[in-house]
Amino acid sequence: MAGHSIRGRRGRRKINKAFELQLTSMMDVLVIIVVFLLKSYNTSTNSFTTAPGLKLPISASQDSPNDSLQVVVTPESLTLDNERVLDFVQTAASAGSSEANYMFKQSDLDEGGKRIIPLYDALIKAREKTELLLAKSKVRVDGKPAPFEGVLAVQADKRVKYDTIRKIMYTAGTAGYKVFRFLAMKRET
Amino acid sequence: MFKRPSSRRKSPHGEHAELPLVPILDTMVTLIGFLLFTTSFLGIVSIESPLPQANPNEVKDELKQKEKPLQLTLSFREKDVEIWSPFSKIEPRAISNTQAGEPDTKAIHDALIEVKKKFPLEDSAVIVPKKDSPYDGMVAVMDAVRTLEATDPPIYIKNEKTGIDEPIKSLFPKILFGNLLGDS
Repeated sequence: MAGHSIRGRRGRRKINKAFELQLTSMMDVLVIIVVFLLKSYNTSTNSFTTAPGLKLPISASQDSPNDSLQVVVTPESLTLDNERVLDFVQTAASAGSSEANYMFKQSDLDEGGKRIIPLYDALIKAREKTELLLAKSKVRVDGKPAPFEGVLAVQADKRVKYDTIRKIMYTAGTAGYKVFRFLAMKRET
Repeated sequence: MFKRPSSRRKSPHGEHAELPLVPILDTMVTLIGFLLFTTSFLGIVSIESPLPQANPNEVKDELKQKEKPLQLTLSFREKDVEIWSPFSKIEPRAISNTQAGEPDTKAIHDALIEVKKKFPLEDSAVIVPKKDSPYDGMVAVMDAVRTLEATDPPIYIKNEKTGIDEPIKSLFPKILFGNLLGDS
């Protein structure tokens, strides 16, 4: 009986004690998180994200890319501003293999295999849309609409061969795009 | 004689003055939410390259020039990368690939520093990759051509406005592709 009463008294003591949240230690944690986030905060305005399954090359460049039209070369397809433009030819060897072949269908190429027709059509469409928006915009340069800048960001897997990149650049060049921005992952210093 | 105890301790206001932590916490949580939502943890960078354009007038002007341009060119070959100038402004130099068969970016970078010392005002380079050159190797060479590391020896050029020698910040930042029309 006596033991029971002592336990009862201890229990009462615990219940009576006011429950207090440890705010000081929580503040410490939050301050550390805020400092970390502020340190790694990036003020750039681009909305580039990497496509799943895409391994970008690593670069020592410090230039942050501005928002622009973007062509993405994945092992399966070519997309322009998140719209699939064409699919690469999948052979029995490439299916299930980590090495993609990035082969174009012959019907998708012209000008001696240098120009990619579906990409050219999509780029022309995007250019016309941009020029229309520029014409409607109030921004004027010498009384005329601002000129079409023709910037194309290229996001490609690091295993892509130069031949594929060259076809994209050639196609973009014929569609009036004059500047290429090759996207890469920033090298950790 | 004892010293009179401090009146501060006895003051009714002397009890623990507590910082209002709850509104501070509210602010912090809001700030963290905002930062998490807007921060991009993917460090994406870009390497810019203009499309080579042939302007007939410029070509004529260049032909008239007595001083030929450097037109620094890096040609990727089977076993090496050749650094040369079509106008023979520099001695051609072949830099062997690494054992893994990739361009030796360190040796290329060192060779280009020597070229930059001779032509400090030159800012462009032409690269001519092979048809089957992998993209990451190309980007590595472009980095070696463009960037100047902190460990590299400083190269100075005279600022025309101030007349003061200033260290350059990049090697050959303007990169063009020399074989966009070719088949090689």
